[in-house]
Amino acid sequence: MGDIRQSLLPRDVLSAAKELLYHLDIYICNLVQSGRQPPQVDSKTLDLIEEFILHAPKDRNASARRMSALQELQLLEIMCSCFQEQSRDTVRQLMFSALFGLQGNAADESRMALLGKLVSMAVAMGRVPILECAATWLQRTHRVYCVRLAQVLVDDYCSMVPGSVPTLQNIHSASPRFCCQFITAVTTLYDLTTEELTPPIELLQMIVSWIQEDPRLVLITFLNTPLTGSQPINSLDVTPLGGLVRWCVKAPLAYKTDKKQTPTHERSENVPEVGPLFSTLHLSVLQVLMLLPNILNEKGLFGRMGLLQLDSLAALTSELSRLLDQADKHAHASAADAHAAPQLALDRLAQALQVAKANGALLCSREDMRAICSRLPHNNLLQLVLSGPVMYYNNIHTPPLAFSPHAAHSPIASHPALPTHAAHSPIASHPALPTHAAHSPIASHPALPTHPAHSPHTPLAALPASHAPYPAQPFITGMPFPFRPNH
Amino acid sequence: MSAQKDCEFLVKKARELVSVDSCAAKAWLITARTLYPTDFNIQYEMYTIERNAERTAPAGRLLYDMFINFPDQPIVWREIGVITAALRSDSQDKHAQFLRGLFETLPGRVQCEMLLKATEQCFNTLEKAEMLLLLLKRFPESVVQHGLSLGETLLDAEASENVDTPVNCFRKLFVCDVLPLIINNMDIRLPASLMQKYILKAAEFYIGYVTRGPSADGQLQGSQDSGKLKSPSMSRGSQRYVIDGLSEKSSLVADPWERLLELLAVVGVRCEWQGDKGQRSFVDMLQRMKELCRYLPGLDGETRSRYCSQVVICGALTLFRSAFLYVSAVQPALFQGASGASSGPWILVEDLSSVYSDVDLDKGPVKHAQKKRKQADGREKTMSSDDEEGLGKGRGRHILVSKTEMPNWSETLEGFRAARESWDLLHSHDALEAEFKKICASWKTDSWLWFRIFLTDMIVFQGQYRKALSSLHQMSAVQQHQPGQQSPSGQGSLEHHRVLIQQASCHYALGEYRMACEKLLDVVSGLIPPNQDQTKAPEDHNRVRSKSRKGNDLRLLPCTNKAVLPFCFQLMLACFKLRAFADNRDDLSLGHVVVLLQYDWPQGEMLFLKSVDKIYHQGSFQYENFFNYVTNIDMLEEFAYLRTPEGGRIQLELLPNQGMLIKNPSPALGVELNTLLLQGVQRMDRHHTVTRGITKGVKEDFRLAMERQVSRCGENLLSVLHRFCINEKIIIIQSLP
Repeated sequence: MGDIRQSLLPRDVLSAAKELLYHLDIYICNLVQSGRQPPQVDSKTLDLIEEFILHAPKDRNASARRMSALQELQLLEIMCSCFQEQSRDTVRQLMFSALFGLQGNAADESRMALLGKLVSMAVAMGRVPILECAATWLQRTHRVYCVRLAQVLVDDYCSMVPGSVPTLQNIHSASPRFCCQFITAVTTLYDLTTEELTPPIELLQMIVSWIQEDPRLVLITFLNTPLTGSQPINSLDVTPLGGLVRWCVKAPLAYKTDKKQTPTHERSENVPEVGPLFSTLHLSVLQVLMLLPNILNEKGLFGRMGLLQLDSLAALTSELSRLLDQADKHAHASAADAHAAPQLALDRLAQALQVAKANGALLCSREDMRAICSRLPHNNLLQLVLSGPVMYYNNIHTPPLAFSPHAAHSPIASHPALPTHAAHSPIASHPALPTHAAHSPIASHPALPTHPAHSPHTPLAALPASHAPYPAQPFITGMPFPFRPNH
Repeated sequence: MSAQKDCEFLVKKARELVSVDSCAAKAWLITARTLYPTDFNIQYEMYTIERNAERTAPAGRLLYDMFINFPDQPIVWREIGVITAALRSDSQDKHAQFLRGLFETLPGRVQCEMLLKATEQCFNTLEKAEMLLLLLKRFPESVVQHGLSLGETLLDAEASENVDTPVNCFRKLFVCDVLPLIINNMDIRLPASLMQKYILKAAEFYIGYVTRGPSADGQLQGSQDSGKLKSPSMSRGSQRYVIDGLSEKSSLVADPWERLLELLAVVGVRCEWQGDKGQRSFVDMLQRMKELCRYLPGLDGETRSRYCSQVVICGALTLFRSAFLYVSAVQPALFQGASGASSGPWILVEDLSSVYSDVDLDKGPVKHAQKKRKQADGREKTMSSDDEEGLGKGRGRHILVSKTEMPNWSETLEGFRAARESWDLLHSHDALEAEFKKICASWKTDSWLWFRIFLTDMIVFQGQYRKALSSLHQMSAVQQHQPGQQSPSGQGSLEHHRVLIQQASCHYALGEYRMACEKLLDVVSGLIPPNQDQTKAPEDHNRVRSKSRKGNDLRLLPCTNKAVLPFCFQLMLACFKLRAFADNRDDLSLGHVVVLLQYDWPQGEMLFLKSVDKIYHQGSFQYENFFNYVTNIDMLEEFAYLRTPEGGRIQLELLPNQGMLIKNPSPALGVELNTLLLQGVQRMDRHHTVTRGITKGVKEDFRLAMERQVSRCGENLLSVLHRFCINEKIIIIQSLP
């Protein structure tokens, strides 16, 4: 296709671009028809695109030809209809990656600029094929660029033109895949670290309403992606769940500080409170997590693939701990109020961890969870979650055996001995071990108020050898849940 | 430090949050449930939140979970109890609708199980039945297992609860809800005897329902609703009817006869009744039964008894349905919801519209027969001989009715006919009669006033007047003891009149004129004479038809002032006519006839001329009431003429007895009239003193009386005749045998 360059050169910018698109279309059609696997657009063609569509400078001394704003708009329209009219998904997809697949060169900036405008236009005009291509692009591209595309849309629709939010709202029905990827990108972009990185309220409302209406939306990409196991490195997460959890957990603190810093800011009257929005969002996230066991089982992935990664959660907990420290320093105003936000954040963290773990979205042991949460301050629910549930019927299953040697000891005596610092002990309990079902006899011991001096395992001689290390730990005997909430 | 404490903590936290932030509360509970999936309180709390928010789908989902995971929790059962109660009720309030919607979200299997278990926990028979019914309606496959036993339970309950009417809640559920499910389910084997028992239970219920009287409650409610402005008939229409133990909505039975017919059709098919296909109406059915009856004598054994059952059941239903059609038109006030506005009661009486025709032609078989029989048998007639004669007379009788006043006349008469034919059918064989009597005994039809009304009219129609009289006598006794049957609008006295008039008609037919007039005059004394104009119009209708008929016909007479009064005059006329024109002289009767002939003038012109002729031949005539009651100008002229030489110089003694007039100034007379009359009398007195014994003076008196009488021509004739009936009651009665 390289030979058409000579015919393109004399043309004006717009018609050259048009001509090239036309040839590109034919070229890719032939490419697909030839059945070569994988269909690969050659580098000469890519060069032509950079030269005649993206107008990237070919070399340092040649100044690039530029398009006027009007010409650019015309080009975008042509591209829109080009994608719209192409009926074959493969061709459309190949064309989109030929045009916008990042090449790691100087032209990428122009590429991103044009892509941003094209997708924004597609959103405005409801061009589903382009949104679908963009969704794929968002799956394959480095997250930094994905975030940039998201930024463009947010700027265009949430910040620049007031009242244009409903247009963006429509992508939910136009292309759920794109919508899902958009949410992932947005949650990646806005990490609530600064005010700039706090999502605009319109965006937040929109996302909450999307997910509330259809919780499965956040799983669309995951559901539609064949699991090759080879996710491009540094691409976006396959679901926005991690980002959403981060939002919900950090929101009470992030918005808190935000408010404090700008008490006179005009964001008051007609702007709704974010609190309920995040509360709704958080519930939706938990509900999505509850959907997972079935989906994962269907895919045969239960226990094999976690949608939340421990390391990103670790990052979250450390951020949270930092925020809490900050909040602590600021918290001289009203003590009750200052207490509520951190507790809400910790409650949500605990809930997310527990529900994610219980539903196979988070593959780790309670041990791991304790580790990443070790620096967090006390929270009843978090402690409960980190220790795991008290096994239910252990009293029935292992009654006198467990009790008999210690029955003589005053069970109450052990309580005063509870050292509160033990809250930080990462090994408060073991019931959360993946194989805990097999250990039900062990699980019973938390409930046994045995004497501190006693090894809790004396009555459990039948335990497998693998558990031998436990008694050696600096274990607070008989009180595996010293940090249980004070009911 | 136990699982339980954890759970309590989690639930408590959620409860604290639910009013502030329900999403947060739910988040807590979701977390709690992943921690303690087997804890009931957590799930119940989740359910409570969704239920209180009336979110159908999530609440349903959670209820399902609880039902599956905690089948033994009393709280779950309490909840299910609340939901099934909502299913049974017809409350339209939002929460009840939500609960019903909630139930609908559950999978069928769970619904079925829930209803069954809820039924088990129910101790009230009615509730239990309703619950089981919900189950049967939703899950037809459960009918085989539970249908029959539910039916029997309801019938047992009815028996053991000593309810006094077949229209009770148990029977209603059985007949309207359970029975259709049972008999339409071909997987259930039902012996014919059981099906017959069931269809009779159904028939008893539907008949009882249709013929239920206006309830005291309903009336109270109706009059409260409508206030004083509306007529009583309006309030009767708005009556509500509630079967004890049921809601107003479920007390309502739509199209009872049609539903009974549907049931009967199914039973017929299942019992392999003869030629039962395509049986669409009660009329068809009667026809079919008549045909079947012909084969009956030739059959025996099981076939015969099957035929018998079929004929008796179908025949009885046709009888009651047709009789109801008739009685509901004739006595609408007896029934709740009948459109009482259209007409009051109607009376089946002898048709007397031909009373003005000539005596010779009119010497109907009734009177002659009676006379002959009286001579033969003496006064004491036995019922049986009366019956024999009656049966003969029943044939070919016609019932006349004013079509404008009874728009549904053909339906009514058709109902009467069909009912009579059904009755005859049921009494055409001993076997049929025996079975029919069994049904009547078990339904206690003797106590059905409405049915007695039909039977009485049927006996009248058959000409068994003696029997009819005793039935009427009983009926009036029953009515007096049933104040409930009388509506508040003076319907009671109408009912009483109805009976009296029918008795009078029967006595007349039997030739017992004195009794007839006695009853009639009792009625007349209670009537207020209407304006003359009103009575004219309806009378014209039957005239054409009646001309062609003998005096053997019957007539449905509306029981109203304006219809009853003319009938009374006619009947009295009929009573006196024979005596008046008999060979031996009876001036009093002839005078009465002349007075009565004024009504509906000139209908009676022919008879009047005949009277004049008779007077002419007698040469003299004495009737002292003449000037009190004869105001007809034509008649006055004729009498004036009789005195003239050209007229034959007839001796007329028509002046009222002075003493009598002064002795009996009737309070019913108007004051002016009394004064007028007395003035006249005084004037005449003066003349008498002056011209006593002189013929010329008598002539003068007569002339003056005539002149005065002419001035009375404009008087309301009905008032005059009404006065005649009241003032002369004793003379009238005494002058009859």
